[in-house]
Amino acid sequence: MSNETVSLLIIFLFIIGATIVGLIPGMNKKMNLEEWAVGGRNFGRWLNWFILAGEIYTAFAFLGASGWAYSRGGPTFYILGYGALAYIVGYYLLPTISPIGRKHGLMTQPDLIEHLYNSKTLSLLTAIIGVAFLLPYLQLQLTGLGLIIETCSYGQLTRIPAMLIAFILVASFVYLSGLKGVASTAVLKDILLMIAVVFFGLYLPIHYFGSLGGMFEALETAKPGFLALPGGTKNFDVSWVMSTLVVTSLGFYMWPHFTTNSFSARNPDVLRHNAIYLPLYQICLLFPMLVGFAALLLLEAPLKTPDMAFMTIVQKLFPGWTLGLVGGAGALACMIPAADLLLSTSMLFTRNIYSKTIGKNTDPNNLINVARIAVLGLTTIALCLAIFLPNMLVNLLLTGYSGVTQFFPMIVLGLYWKKSTKLGAYAGLIIGEILVFTLILGKMDPLPFAGMNLNAGFVALLINSIVFILISLSTYTPVKTKKEVSL
Amino acid sequence: MNTLKIILTLLPFVWTIGMIPFANKVHPIVLGLPFLAFWFVAGIFLAFVCLQAIYFIDSKHRQDS
Repeated sequence: MSNETVSLLIIFLFIIGATIVGLIPGMNKKMNLEEWAVGGRNFGRWLNWFILAGEIYTAFAFLGASGWAYSRGGPTFYILGYGALAYIVGYYLLPTISPIGRKHGLMTQPDLIEHLYNSKTLSLLTAIIGVAFLLPYLQLQLTGLGLIIETCSYGQLTRIPAMLIAFILVASFVYLSGLKGVASTAVLKDILLMIAVVFFGLYLPIHYFGSLGGMFEALETAKPGFLALPGGTKNFDVSWVMSTLVVTSLGFYMWPHFTTNSFSARNPDVLRHNAIYLPLYQICLLFPMLVGFAALLLLEAPLKTPDMAFMTIVQKLFPGWTLGLVGGAGALACMIPAADLLLSTSMLFTRNIYSKTIGKNTDPNNLINVARIAVLGLTTIALCLAIFLPNMLVNLLLTGYSGVTQFFPMIVLGLYWKKSTKLGAYAGLIIGEILVFTLILGKMDPLPFAGMNLNAGFVALLINSIVFILISLSTYTPVKTKKEVSL
Repeated sequence: MNTLKIILTLLPFVWTIGMIPFANKVHPIVLGLPFLAFWFVAGIFLAFVCLQAIYFIDSKHRQDS
């Protein structure tokens, strides 16, 4: 068999295998919405750990980290930094949120906002912003998958039919099994991906340069300063990395799907236990970077798409079956987070947009059907975006992290600070999002300020927090806005 | 929250974010990694150790109360 047949066969074996594993939990059971979206709130330590980890190690970790290392050098290392810090934030935040969710039957982030501020409109606004940032994230996973399959078929199969097939499969197991389907496939994906990145991350430097240090010395000789800041970029300097680490570590758990996932834990201790082991998993992000650096030294012609550095080097140096295995693991790294994103986006839409506006009178037992139809609808939208407007949403995607980080003051101060008010939340959120959009779309990210280059999301977060606190203080009345965050 | 817990919480942030201006260099290469990368990897281990310690303090508290 030729190389492309072997590698494509292996990838499709993976994709179909994952679909079957994902379908099993939903086969014999009739699920209600709670069962489907948060797994009946009954996930123990390891299952919950795998969902959270599965979410984190996405196509970006796999392709993006190697691509950044290949094209930007030093600034890439920030990726090693934010995760561990985010888990410290999560250690305090998630166990606070989870029991509130259980007590009041919350399932999504806007549910939490509605509970904290007693405002349906603020919750609706949060839901709409959430969907707007999740959709391009979903599209990114699709595009990643398309690129992987294209490389693995040595250009024989184009990305559009590949994306079509894979995403019908993803939608089908989310449709049937909900979060349980995502959890069981996440286990499979994590093990495969870990083996792939560790192997290539160590094999390439050691085989071609004798050791890790040997590779980095060679790189430092070829491109002096590439491995420090700002590396291969103009303005991703020390101040950019510092401000970006603040945004990403605080903003990490502000992605709407993490709130939904934290509601699936059996008890708060599950979440604490997860948080203390997740940092080690972060080491795995180093290995794709090593592959990216090796690719920079080993590939002669510069790549047009740096994100393909990992796949291209494997394609050039290894036989088809190896490429198939890597592509299979990479395909799962796109599919499983996509499934989780799809589930969360569908929940946001069904619970917080549809049933609060046009579908006010829908029978609650029917909502699961609406959520399932939403899964199909959202898959179609993401597919259309990925096929017809592959670049249109790039700008929106760039705003994603900075955008969701603007929820931070509203959620965290809302949970821990008694004087936060609805007006403060509105003002902070709206100003924060407007700043994110104007700065990023106006090509002012990073924002030059007093000799520094600040991450736009950081600037917006700072002003957002100040506005939130000032407005809250001036509108706070002890009797009226007293709310109980019952634990 | 006691002082020890506050220190354990903030220490990884100071290491990983606050110290970058001093860690931004390629040499010395430590454990096969450029110094900046080594600094972040060490920060991961520091965060891990700090979180273990916080978890330990918390679970002791829960048992006491």
